[in-house]
Parts: sequence; structure tokens; C-alpha cells
Amino acid sequence: MDFSAVGAAASEALTLASFIGIGGGVLLGYIVGVIPGLSRSVAISIAIPMTFYMSPFIAISFLIGLSKGTAAGSAVSAILLNAPGEASSAATALDGYPLAKQGKPKTALQIGLIASVMGDILATIILIFVAIPFARVALMFGPYEMAAILAFALVFIAGLSGGNIFKGLAAGGLGIFLGTIGLDNQTGLPRLTFGYTELMDGMPLIAVAIGTLALSEMFVQSEKLRYDRENMSVALKKDADDRITMPIFKRILPTILRGTGVGTFVGALPGLGPSVGSFMSYGMAQKAAKEPEKFGKGEPKGIAASESADNAVIPAALIPLFGLGIPGNVSAALLIGAFAIHGITVGPLLLRDNPELLYSIFAGMILASLIMLVLGWYGLMFFAQITRVPPHVVIPIVIFFCLAGMMLQGYGTFGLIILMAFALLGYLMKKYDYSFVTFLVAFIITPMLELNLRQSIILSRGNWEILLNRPIAMFFIACTVIALVALIIRTFKKEQAVANAPAD
Amino acid sequence: MKKLTLASTALCALIAAPALAEEWRPTQPMTMVIGFAPGGSTDIQGRVLARTLEEYFGQPVNVVNQPGGGGAVALTRFLNAEPDGHTFMFGVQLGLTFSPIVTEVAYEIDDFRYAGTLVGGQFGVVAAGDAPYQTFEELIAYGKENPMTYAQQLPMDEAIMRIIAEQEGIDLAIVPTGGGGGMAPLLLGGEVDYAFSGGTHAQYTPTGEMNVLAFLTAERSPFYPDVPTLEELGYPYAIDDFRSFFLPGDTPDEIVEAFENAARFAVEHEPFVETTVENTLHPIVFMDAEETEATIRSIREANEALMAQ
Repeated sequence: MDFSAVGAAASEALTLASFIGIGGGVLLGYIVGVIPGLSRSVAISIAIPMTFYMSPFIAISFLIGLSKGTAAGSAVSAILLNAPGEASSAATALDGYPLAKQGKPKTALQIGLIASVMGDILATIILIFVAIPFARVALMFGPYEMAAILAFALVFIAGLSGGNIFKGLAAGGLGIFLGTIGLDNQTGLPRLTFGYTELMDGMPLIAVAIGTLALSEMFVQSEKLRYDRENMSVALKKDADDRITMPIFKRILPTILRGTGVGTFVGALPGLGPSVGSFMSYGMAQKAAKEPEKFGKGEPKGIAASESADNAVIPAALIPLFGLGIPGNVSAALLIGAFAIHGITVGPLLLRDNPELLYSIFAGMILASLIMLVLGWYGLMFFAQITRVPPHVVIPIVIFFCLAGMMLQGYGTFGLIILMAFALLGYLMKKYDYSFVTFLVAFIITPMLELNLRQSIILSRGNWEILLNRPIAMFFIACTVIALVALIIRTFKKEQAVANAPAD
Repeated sequence: MKKLTLASTALCALIAAPALAEEWRPTQPMTMVIGFAPGGSTDIQGRVLARTLEEYFGQPVNVVNQPGGGGAVALTRFLNAEPDGHTFMFGVQLGLTFSPIVTEVAYEIDDFRYAGTLVGGQFGVVAAGDAPYQTFEELIAYGKENPMTYAQQLPMDEAIMRIIAEQEGIDLAIVPTGGGGGMAPLLLGGEVDYAFSGGTHAQYTPTGEMNVLAFLTAERSPFYPDVPTLEELGYPYAIDDFRSFFLPGDTPDEIVEAFENAARFAVEHEPFVETTVENTLHPIVFMDAEETEATIRSIREANEALMAQ
């Protein structure tokens, strides 16, 4: 590593202008993250023109700070409102909201923040020291490996839903079905679009995510409010016990480290993304836990697993971007555009031609994580005030943000109708105990799985033996089969337990 | 096709200058519709073009992204736009030259007016730098001995490669990639032998990681003057795409003329040219309104003929 370049980079990163730029990015990201429906990619695309007048270093650090801020901020609404600010924080809500309901909203928020910041800093360090020279490793993950990993993720996440396996399969199946809508990516022919041009690129992801997660939750909340006015809001009291303690931190530290590992791995592979990362990490934490039944009921490890992986994905997605010029996810793809506007071609040449810039960006990324910690820690009380606002005020505001977030997508009235349809679907799934998480993840994964599976089948010319030369793919196929068998055994055991229990 | 040389533009600018006073001018902020998501090359060019047009028209230009269906979503919505010149589109022609062939869309070429072309495409066929073939002829010779794999992006390039493979007796498997971002890892990871590139190659040719074997466009790329086109190699197929201004169908002539002049201004305007050529690595190609429409119609016919095979 060129140390004079590192020194120059550090000094550029520590100017007042860069503090303001990066801090502004993190703050803006945090706010966007808190608001359900305003997504990371929307925020970045709106912010790119704002960077026209900044230096390339500040512009890129501003945008990366923005990405990081959204990942941390989205935990706040997931925990306090059960409405994740980003789809990737949906796993955070599974334990964060119950913990907040149990009178520990501040503890939940602090766990989320610390997991976010740690996942973020560790993944950034991995990006700097380990990953760039080894970016080429990502090329070992061809279509066979990607298809196997995606199939594994699908089965693994379906296992999270617990409950009835058939309901889980139904939810996942619906997700897969809706994920096949849109133009066929080889022939360009429309599938199941029923003549709507808007459906050519598939069911709008944001409508499906906001509808089933946030808006349907508002329906559930309003219903509760009608019958049970007291039980609804999470009141934030001045409670000295409601804070993260050393024992809690020690308990969640291994989870955070594992979550960072999962997030970095998922982020470094092009095409996966933070939602896959946070759900995989959550599932692994549950599998590794001594008391897995506590998950979903306010387990601090659940929050830590989801948030550390969610945030680790952001810097890790830059590994293939800086190393190979291949974006790891949508927001990384938007960064290519931002680089281009500032006259920089992202790719393997970046390290050779512009080392100062690259090191400055790394320094800026670490700075962004630290700013995020300070902002999140001291802003906690401010953000937590959301819980003091009575539900009859919160619910309409969240609904407004859901609708506004959808309108920003540019789908017009059509988008709002789709959003409402999915809100209704999400409401019914929650009422009848179908896993909307399995549904959503299946929906998000399907297009990637389909493409990689098709590529594998065509490239292998239908010859199964090709897998023998693909140890990584074989490994994940084996994992998928084991997970599937374990899942079936668990379901039968549960049914037996239910059958043996005396009827009450 | 007319590629604008410096001398002829200077002349155009001189002739156009006195006419500026009487030309149509917008009276309120304008909206530029882009049929692609933010961050892609169309979006980057469009956003810099918006600044250039602000300078030319003296009104703010807001950029609105309406992604979907390779521009088809934006075109469908554009059918309802007011023909007063304040709402216009900048984008690729594929939504007109290709989408209507395979999909039922609500619009046709006759529904819009075309006010000039600014940017050319550079569709090509690429191979990894360390592949055992460095030219298209070598690739064909190699393919006659070995089964090959090709990564497509458009049904048209798939059709061309299928026809050539049949003609040359090559055992070819064709995979979809879902765009240029998906093509690079497939090719660099050695999963496919060669691939279509809509422009992604520009990032990889300077390092020698990729080689352009042939261009699918009707003319050679100014950036790779030594690389032949398919037609020059004896295969009578081409796919072209240019980026132009689209206006609603009832737009009066004077407004179309104003945009044509704005396009003339933009292709000589330093920031737009620099961004397009240096950052997005697309060639500047100017065509006037009449030539743009004629080109769109002829590309559409060529694509129809190709897809019918």
C-alpha cells in the first residue's frame, strides 16, 4: 500500500468541507431511512444532481454516507413503528418492535445502532485491506454458484417463518409467481402483464415492499386502535434501566461479528443485496442460538444480527464495484453513474490511476460511520419521540409517507392501486398467519434465481455432470437439501407435539 | 448519416444565430422525461443535457425518470403530454424500433415527432482479452472446431448470432444476461466465450480485459477505428440505436425547429460533449429532425425483417 497516498488521503478527509458533506449525507440518509417508503435508491438518485457542484471525493463520500445513513435510520422506524424504513430492515422489526413494546425501546434502538455502526466499520475495513486485491474471487461465483446460493437463501428464509410449512410454501409460492411477471429477459416478450406497460419491468418492488410491510401494518394498527386504545402506542418513559448494558453488549457481540461476515459475503456477490443479507444473518443467529424460540419476541440478538448484516452490505457492495467495476446492488449501480458524472471510470483502473481518491473515499467512509454513531446516539431521544405521538396522528402520517414514497417512483395512480392491493394482501396474510417475510423474500429473489438458473441450464447444455467441477455450487446445493430435510422434520415434530398435547 | 464536423457546425451556428430572435422560446420551466432509471448512461447524458438546454432556452429544465420496458413505459405516458414544447423526452429509439414488434404497446412511430439526434450507439460483440481469438474471423474459425456460448442482451443480437452460427455451422448456446452489468462477470469469469455489449466494453478495453471483435452498428465506432462492422465482414445484418429528442405528435413545426437547433447547439456544447464522449463513452452523432424520423423508420423495418427470420 502506498503510504504517502494514504497520508494525503487522510488529510483530505479531515477538512471542514468534507465533515459538512459527509455529515450532511449521513443525516439526510438517516432521515430518509426513518421514513418508511422513501428508499435508499430513490434518495441516492435524487441526491446525485446535488453533488454536481462538489469535488469528486466529497460527492462520493456524501453519497456513500447517505447509503450508510439509510441503513442505520431504517432500524428506527422498524423498531418503533414496526414499519421498516427499508425492506432490508424488515428482519430488525421482527424482534425490535416486540422489545420496544416490552418497555425497552431505547435499548432496542441502541442495539440496532451499535450493530449498524460495528457492521459498517468492520466491513469497510475488510473492503480496504482484504477485498480489493481479492476482488477477482467474486468471479469464481458464476451462474451455477449464484443459483445454488439463491436457492439456499430461499429455503433458509422459508424456514424462518416457523409455523405451518404449507402456509410457508403457499406464501413463498405466491412470491415466486409474482416475481415472474414482466419482460422475459431473453426474448423480451411480456409475461403476465395483461397489457399494462407499467408491469413490463415486473411488479414494482417498492409497491410490494411498502404495501405488505408498512401500509398493511397501519391497517392492523388502526384496527387495534379501534378496539384497544391503550395497548397501541409504545410509551417512552424516563427509565434508567432502558439502555444497552455491558452484559447485553457482550451477549450480542458474537452475533454482530457473524452478521458482519454474512453481510460482507452477500454484499460482495453481485446481485444479492441488503435484504438477503439481513434475513440470512437473522436466520443464522436463530439457528446458532441456545434459545431460538425467543426470536421474534424481543431477542436483542435478532436486532443485532439483522442490522449488522444490513450495514455490512453497503461497503461490501463496493468490493466488486471498485475491484471489477461490477455493482453489488442497485445503490452501488447508482454510484457508477455518480462517478461517471465526476469524470471517473469505476473499475480495476481506479486503484492504479486514482489511488489518492480511492483512499480519501475509504477515509470518508470510516468518518461517515463515526458520524453515524454520534448522530444516532444523541439523536436517539429525538427520533424516539415518534413513539410519544399518539397513534391516531402517527398512522395517517405513515400512510401519507407510504403513498408519497410510491408516487416518487413515477408509476402514477397505477402504482397507488398496486400499493393498496398489496397492503390488503399483507393485511390478510398477517390476519391468517401466512409469512409475509417468506413471500417478500421469494418475490425479491425470483428474478435473480430465474436468470442464474436459466444461464446454468443453457451453459451446461443440460449436463448435470458439470456440477462436479463446481465445488462451491455443490456445497450450497447440499446445504439447501439439508435445510429442506431439517425443515420437514421440524414440521412433523411440531405437528406431533400439537397432536399429543391435550386439547384446550 | 451526417456526422457534424467542426467546420460545418461553425457555419450552422453562424446561419442559426440571426434566426434565434424569432425562434420559439419556452415561457415556463421545462420537463425532460428520461425512460430509464437514474445512473445509467442515458440518464447521465440527459442530466448534463438539461444544463445545456437551460443555457440555450433560458428556462429551468427538470429531469423526470420514468423507467420501464426499455423506454416503453415513458413513451406510453408521453402520449398524453401537452404539445406545447414544455414537456419533451430524451432517450434511445428502441422503444419505437423494437418494442412494438414483440409487445402490444399503445403507441406507434406516427404518434410522436422527432426533433433531432444527439448521440450514437456502439453495439458490439466482445470477447475476453485472453481468449484464443482476437478477431471475429478467428472466433468463427474457433467455433467451427469447438462448441461455443454467447451472452445476449437483445432479441435482435441473439437473432443475428443464431443466423451466423447456422450459416457457419457453429454449435452455439445463447444465454440471457439481464444487461451490461450482468455481462461483464460472465465474460471475465470465463463462463461464456463471447458476448453482446451495448457499451460496457468501454470500461474494459483500455486494460486489455476485453476485446471488441466486431461492431453490430452500420458504421464503425470512432473510438475503435480498426474494428470492422459485421456488414464489412460479409454478414448483412446491423442493429443501430441513437438518442434523440421526442415531442408529442401535435407539436407545431416551430417548436420542433427550436429543438432541432437546441440539438445543434448541444452537440457543440463543451460540457455535454465531454460527458458523453469521455464519461459515458458514446459518440456524438447529429441528425436533423427529418433524418431522425427517417432513421427510426428504417431501423424499425430492419428489425422487423431480422425478427421475422
